[in-house]
Amino acid sequence: MTDLLRRLLRTPQGAVAVAMLALILLLCLLGPELAPRDPEAIDFLGRFRPPGAENWLGADQLGRDVLSRLMVGARATVLLALLATLLGTLAGAVIGTLSAYLGGRWDEAIMRNVDAVMAIPGLLMALLLVSSLGKGSLNATLAIAIAFTPGMARVTRSVALAVRAQDYVKAALARGEGAAFIVLREMLPNVVGPMIVEATIRVAFAVMLFATLSFLGLGAQPPAPEWGLMVAEARRFVHQAPWIIIAPSVAIALTAIAFNLLGDGLRDALNPRDER
Amino acid sequence: MSASWLLRRLLLVVYTVLVVSVLVFGITQVLPADAAVTLLGENATPEALAALRLRLGLGDPLWLQYARWLGGALTGDFGLSMRTGQPVGPMMLVALSRSLLLAGLALALMLMVAIPLGLWAALRQGRAADLVTGLVSYLGVSLPEFVIATLVVMLFADRLQWLPATGYVPLTEDVADSLAHLALPVLTVSLIMVAHVSRMVRSETIDVLHSDYIRAARLKGLPGRSILLRHTLRNALLPVITIVALDVGYLLGGIIVVEEIFAIPGIGRQLIVAVTARDLPAIQAGAMIMAVTYALASTLADIAYALLDRRIRYD
Amino acid sequence: MILSVENFSLSYRSGAGVRHALRDVSLAIGAGEVLGLVGESGSGKSSLAWSIMRHLPRTAQESGRLRLGDVDLRGLDAAGLAAIRGRRIGMVFQDPSTALNPTLRLGEQVIEVLMRHRGLSRAEARDAAEEALREVELREPAALMRRFPHEASGGEKQRILIASAFATRPELILFDEPTTALDVITGARILELFARLRERTGVAALYISHDLALVSRVADRVAVLRQGAIVEQGSPGAVFRTPRHPYTRQLVAAVPRPDRRLVTDLPAPERVLAVQGVSVHYARRRLFRPAPPPATQPTSFSIRAGEILGVVGESGSGKSSLARALTGLARFEGRIEALDRAITHPRAMRRDYRRTVQIVFQHPDSSLNPRMRIGEILTRPLRLHGGSLGEIPRLLEEVRLPADYARKYPHQLSGGEKQRVAIARAFAANPALVICDEITAALDVSVQAQVIELLLELRRRHGTAYLFITHDINLIRQIAHRIAVMRAGEMVDLREAAQIGAADAHPYTQALIAASPAPVG
Repeated sequence: MTDLLRRLLRTPQGAVAVAMLALILLLCLLGPELAPRDPEAIDFLGRFRPPGAENWLGADQLGRDVLSRLMVGARATVLLALLATLLGTLAGAVIGTLSAYLGGRWDEAIMRNVDAVMAIPGLLMALLLVSSLGKGSLNATLAIAIAFTPGMARVTRSVALAVRAQDYVKAALARGEGAAFIVLREMLPNVVGPMIVEATIRVAFAVMLFATLSFLGLGAQPPAPEWGLMVAEARRFVHQAPWIIIAPSVAIALTAIAFNLLGDGLRDALNPRDER
Repeated sequence: MSASWLLRRLLLVVYTVLVVSVLVFGITQVLPADAAVTLLGENATPEALAALRLRLGLGDPLWLQYARWLGGALTGDFGLSMRTGQPVGPMMLVALSRSLLLAGLALALMLMVAIPLGLWAALRQGRAADLVTGLVSYLGVSLPEFVIATLVVMLFADRLQWLPATGYVPLTEDVADSLAHLALPVLTVSLIMVAHVSRMVRSETIDVLHSDYIRAARLKGLPGRSILLRHTLRNALLPVITIVALDVGYLLGGIIVVEEIFAIPGIGRQLIVAVTARDLPAIQAGAMIMAVTYALASTLADIAYALLDRRIRYD
Repeated sequence: MILSVENFSLSYRSGAGVRHALRDVSLAIGAGEVLGLVGESGSGKSSLAWSIMRHLPRTAQESGRLRLGDVDLRGLDAAGLAAIRGRRIGMVFQDPSTALNPTLRLGEQVIEVLMRHRGLSRAEARDAAEEALREVELREPAALMRRFPHEASGGEKQRILIASAFATRPELILFDEPTTALDVITGARILELFARLRERTGVAALYISHDLALVSRVADRVAVLRQGAIVEQGSPGAVFRTPRHPYTRQLVAAVPRPDRRLVTDLPAPERVLAVQGVSVHYARRRLFRPAPPPATQPTSFSIRAGEILGVVGESGSGKSSLARALTGLARFEGRIEALDRAITHPRAMRRDYRRTVQIVFQHPDSSLNPRMRIGEILTRPLRLHGGSLGEIPRLLEEVRLPADYARKYPHQLSGGEKQRVAIARAFAANPALVICDEITAALDVSVQAQVIELLLELRRRHGTAYLFITHDINLIRQIAHRIAVMRAGEMVDLREAAQIGAADAHPYTQALIAASPAPVG
């Protein structure tokens, strides 16, 4: 693990990503403690106060400190996006591995259905699910997880099939190894790498999707300091105070970039041929 | 490409539509508590609710409800909107036509920008131009549509006041005004796809430029222009068809957001309205129509690919 | 002199430092002369071709002189280069299936060269292309020109590339391993074609190959390249018969020659395995899709203890499918008899059978799990088949690897070393039969010779039988007791190695032998 981190830090994308994500992680863990002000504190005199000494990133339509809201909101946005990706990846990995392992007709039947489900675009699927589960952060998380599942199933299956075709797996089969050993020791370590890369890049998607659902009023509900919701609420005041829109937008973009960079960095670092 | 391949591909579309219909019906009809309550409100009398349930056939077994709904859906009859009392099928189809205009323009703009940009970056691989394009497209794939839309409005509508911020004018009413209102939505939707597709064009082109047959063409002494136009371009752009087809999924997602922000009464906005109002027939109609559009688009892309790429033999 | 290379050196700069590809190379090719350049992978033979064609990466640094006639190749600008490439120097590439643009018709790819270099109109170029294809003995050139690369065979494609190289009437043609990617018989035909074209046109050529025996048949002079330096130059006969440099001697000794048997003892009488009417089908008929033809027809043979049974055939002949059936990797029909039992299904292969029959695969890169250390890789068969882990150093020593390799990962090993580990893994189970599926095909000749020597040593020590699958009939004639010949899924011949060249052998066997002549000298 430390070895992987060392190799990750040696790639330029990886180093930048790790630095950015360390900061984001810090915000997620300690955001509320570090925030300079109470994110809920309403101050009518300070409405639309531009960025300055008092409010570093300005104040919003209710005079709440934008920076503090961003710092507290990190937890809502990033942790739920991570959770959604984790759930979607696990479900997808189970389906994909099962499909690759069963092979033949089962594989074909499972994949045909996965393909058919993928005809529903991610956001539409999330909308559908939220519409029946009801609005709210947790339902949005669940919806994103379900929307990610077929894609992850497809990726897992193709990686697993590629590994299965390798001669070292054939050698294990010919040697008479049990199914558990072949799946867990021969295949899994070689499947996990590409899966982690794919999942990392999907976290960036999840962050954006989650913010989008909140923006549409279907995810986090006011007065939560969720970043997408902050953009949605600030839209009406674009003339008076553009910073209330720009600050959360930049936060979303930086988080997504960080996870995209991490995915690219991991792709390089996980390639065993580079460590010679 | 053989007839049996085509037949199988079309059967697959039918199957996809079936699976999607089961999902859409399942998610919207089975999960929420009671359509009758949704329709009449929490304060309705039990008698009124029972009467409505009978009329809607809610007491019937699920498969019968599904079969009735699917039968209607296949003929374009998705039932009446719980919000407006109008038939949702025709309403959604009209909305779809507006969305397709937006999507078509965005797709065209995207292709016009993304392909030259990707090629240019590939030919300047490793130089400043390539790095700048790379960074900008990285930013592009990391920004959600609503952020780009908001930023675009702030810049072009508020600051520069070049274009209207929201609203929709039918093409039949005033072409210039209609296009002016569509400009920012189209720009928003295409920007994200430009970021994604130009990256793909770049990497495909670089792969082709490093291939044996391009090296062979160089060593045969063919002129650079012929190598680029005849040998590189075609092979690099073929896989882009598949990528663009996959991106239609993002495009549809993007359209939902963009229509909402720019107040375009397309299928995406109708869907959001329906979801917010829990208008089940409208949600079902919107979701089905979108998913079928996507399935058809990707099938068309597959067929186009098969026609253009002579290497793949479908049997 | 057509081409002269004087004191030419080439190196590549990279983040890790400078790598020297060529050191002080001097050679010359006169009018009508064919110079063969022999070297193993990494010797720099392709780098020399790229240097002559002026196709070098930006990180390349050169010194010395490269002249084509009176032209200084290193001093050429873009316009000068355009007048040389394809016009005065032609090139034929290693793999015809990747050297042709997959989305352009074959005819187009010849026509564009002719229009460019002979200044012909499209219609004239079309006629000239047809004529050029006829020159390389392709039947129905007009029909072939309308096809796409994937619709032509490897041999046809290579002929087309040769046709377009010759059609511009260059002074010099570079051949970069033009038969390596082809089947033995197809390759032999290409060589015959080359000899005839050479006679007719009197073109000078640089013929690059890893195969000393092959080069000595086509070249007037041979240069041997090792680690970027030429160690020996001379006539093929001289280089082959009286090699002066130790490396050349090693290379000559490593060339498989059927007359030099490496195995003299006879196998024991008892059988370790018998195959009765085994056939392999990979896919079944499905909706809308007919069943593909079987990979192998019903085949029968047996192997005695300590016997080496060679199976020769070209790619797709079904020889690997046979290996897969015997190791339970493919479903089969018919029966396999071993350990006094008859097996009719992979699931019936019990642990003792799995232990008795081991397999080594062709590609050393994919046969070892990249995420396991060598020690771990060797542990599994020991655990499974009741060996002790203390045997790992002995196993490594048996395949002549240092004991500390147990701590290494596969990617830290060379191709030959990986193949040794795969062999050690097979022998860890103490097998009675080891199936070797083209195990030396991806290796250099000298490494191949070492691996073969190692296998024979292991057989002497353990009395193991081998089912040795290969496409190289000269190699198998050195070591096998009996040789089976496969073609299109069918075993067409099975006879004693000494009888393989007899007049009553199957015509296909005779064709294979004729296509792989013994080296000169």
